[in-house]
Amino acid sequence: MTYDVAIVRQPLNALFDLKGSPAAIQNWAADVLPTLPERPNSRTGQASVELYHVGRNHWIARAPLEQEAELEKHLSPTNCPAEISIVRVSDTLTFFRVVGPQADEVMSIACPLDIHETEFGEETVTYTELFGLKALIMRCEDGFEFAVEQSFGDMAEDYLSRAVA
Amino acid sequence: MMLIPCPFCGKRNESEFIFGGAVGADRPDPNSVNDAEWVEYLTVAPNPLGPVQERWWHARGCSEWVTIWRDTRTHDIVEAPDDSE
Repeated sequence: MTYDVAIVRQPLNALFDLKGSPAAIQNWAADVLPTLPERPNSRTGQASVELYHVGRNHWIARAPLEQEAELEKHLSPTNCPAEISIVRVSDTLTFFRVVGPQADEVMSIACPLDIHETEFGEETVTYTELFGLKALIMRCEDGFEFAVEQSFGDMAEDYLSRAVA
Repeated sequence: MMLIPCPFCGKRNESEFIFGGAVGADRPDPNSVNDAEWVEYLTVAPNPLGPVQERWWHARGCSEWVTIWRDTRTHDIVEAPDDSE
């Protein structure tokens, strides 16, 4: 069976891993980041910067790669207070988009999560597994977007292409 | 297949978790127990017929450690028994 989807590998993004208490992170980075998403596994956005709440006291900031240097300058990971941790992780994740009328069916093959709109809305971002790999998944226009560890990028692409063939 | 309640993510598929072992007794003071008791603490994991307290790591999720009670007869996640500490 073939599926009516397109699988598109995304270019690198500027990614920063932030850990610490919400108040400390907000204090340090309020001027460059959107408001911290309070609900677990949700996201907020401001201009082209998005913030994902992926764990207890754990967020991922994402922006286009062109903004990496500017974000790093403002977040200043090497000078941040000891109670928070900011690490540039742009090179560690590869993003894919699965878009098209049957994107949800393909994602259901790949991951065990309930991705119906009532359970997995526009604002949901969560780590789950995708073909057994840890993956960050979310909705995007006309489908889903997910990220796996950079070194598993080719493997995830291969799995997906076999699933939809 | 179990749906394990993660305190951060809610109920998630068992396959997102890694089993962290049964919750054993607290570590005794090695100077106050005999050799047999020390070996028992080191090597014997709880293995009851019925509810057992276990640790699971949400490795392919939010990385939380979760402690649950699981009934070894039914594989159901259950409430802590009344006599549990």
